Amino acid sequence: MIKIQNLHKSYGNTAILKGIEVEVNDGEVLAIIGPSGSGKSTLLRCLNFLEKAEKGIIEIDGAKVNVEQYTKADVVHLRSKTGMVFQNYNLFKNKTALHNISEPLRLTKKMPKKQAEQAAYDLLAEVGLKGKELNYPVALSGGQQQRVGIARALALNPYVVLFDEPTSSLDPELVEEVLNVMKDVMKQGRTMIVVTHEMEFAKEVADRVIFMADGYIVEQGTPEEVFNNPQNERTKRFLKNYLTLHAKR
Amino acid sequence: MNFDIGYMVDIFPRILEYLPIVLYMGTLSFILAVIVGLVFAVIINAKVPVLYHLLKVIISYFRGVPTLIQIFIFYFGLPQLIPSLSSMQAITAVIIALSIKNAAYLSEVFRSAFLAVDKGQFEACEAVNMTKWQGLRTVILPQVFRVAIPATGNYYIMMIKETSLAFTIGVVDMLARAKLESAVTYKFLEAYLAVGLIYWAITVVLTFLQSKLEHYMERPYLKEATKP
Repeated sequence: MIKIQNLHKSYGNTAILKGIEVEVNDGEVLAIIGPSGSGKSTLLRCLNFLEKAEKGIIEIDGAKVNVEQYTKADVVHLRSKTGMVFQNYNLFKNKTALHNISEPLRLTKKMPKKQAEQAAYDLLAEVGLKGKELNYPVALSGGQQQRVGIARALALNPYVVLFDEPTSSLDPELVEEVLNVMKDVMKQGRTMIVVTHEMEFAKEVADRVIFMADGYIVEQGTPEEVFNNPQNERTKRFLKNYLTLHAKR
Repeated sequence: MNFDIGYMVDIFPRILEYLPIVLYMGTLSFILAVIVGLVFAVIINAKVPVLYHLLKVIISYFRGVPTLIQIFIFYFGLPQLIPSLSSMQAITAVIIALSIKNAAYLSEVFRSAFLAVDKGQFEACEAVNMTKWQGLRTVILPQVFRVAIPATGNYYIMMIKETSLAFTIGVVDMLARAKLESAVTYKFLEAYLAVGLIYWAITVVLTFLQSKLEHYMERPYLKEATKP
């Protein structure tokens, strides 16, 4: 399981996370929603040390790190439990789709080249990109790039996959294909934490939804509880704004 | 017209005998300059305390002092302080002076090329648990080189030409040979024009090779490109 205790993070004098406490069970899909600047992406990025929190304890599947005192090996161990899918895909621009997946396997899992490439072929087929193996990222659409990004994260067989607004950079017509791949990942029973603006997706797929605002977890519960019967004023306002915005569209 | 074209053709092979030494000085200085320049760039980007400030001064000095004066300082001046340097060969002094001076310039090229690499590329390397060095080698440096190659290639060409300053401290290179030839025959125009044309030809060849290399490095970034 994942256990985050009293996590604090600030940029200069601006506090972003003010004592976050979260637990995630094996195989659970957790959606984190909230307004921009609420700290939801920062929370995600603290989990694999892309951002260094100032205070708190992060534990993922037995890899426990106190962010105030840790070794390089602790970070490597923690990261080995996580896979990350970025908002801007962040595929290695100088590598083909295939090598985006096989190179990390070769380098960090010490897998032989042939085996790593076979695994990459299989994963690309799984995310519907058979035939695109030798394309460089520039020759892939946003949706295709993000699917490679998901395959790359899955290749390392992490305990949890962290999705940082995976569809926010996509053209609307490409969102669907990425969400479908994410649903497949969910069906495999992998633990997922998804920071998202896709309320429909959160409603449909998440086991639990967390609403964050101003560095705090304001409300959490099942999708039905949070979306249909929000208790907190801040949550109500956010959802109302969201619904009016989407009704206009 | 007072121009002996036959003579000019005749001396080409005699001048070309010294082409290897020119390429040797230029290429060795270039390789050293790239290595030192990369180290400088990493130190400056990482803002390593003390070293960072020291380097800023060193780079400012080497960019600010004319190359010929730097060569004189290395060759004639330094042995005054360090007597063991008096046995230094002229060619060594040229290579040291050229490599440090150009390392100073190249460090700026590499530094900005590093900054041109998207921050997300570094993060992606970290997220898949690559070590710093693995990330640099497989993802970051290839992208740095792609950005840096056009400017770096120009420095190589400039350095080949700058080696002609070596003649002033007694290295016998193509220019020295041309001067010796013309001192006997008084056919200055033919001799110096011959050296000039050779340098020009070198530049044309190197420019061609550079464009090939740039094209090769650009492959992953072209829409239609797939790996064969």
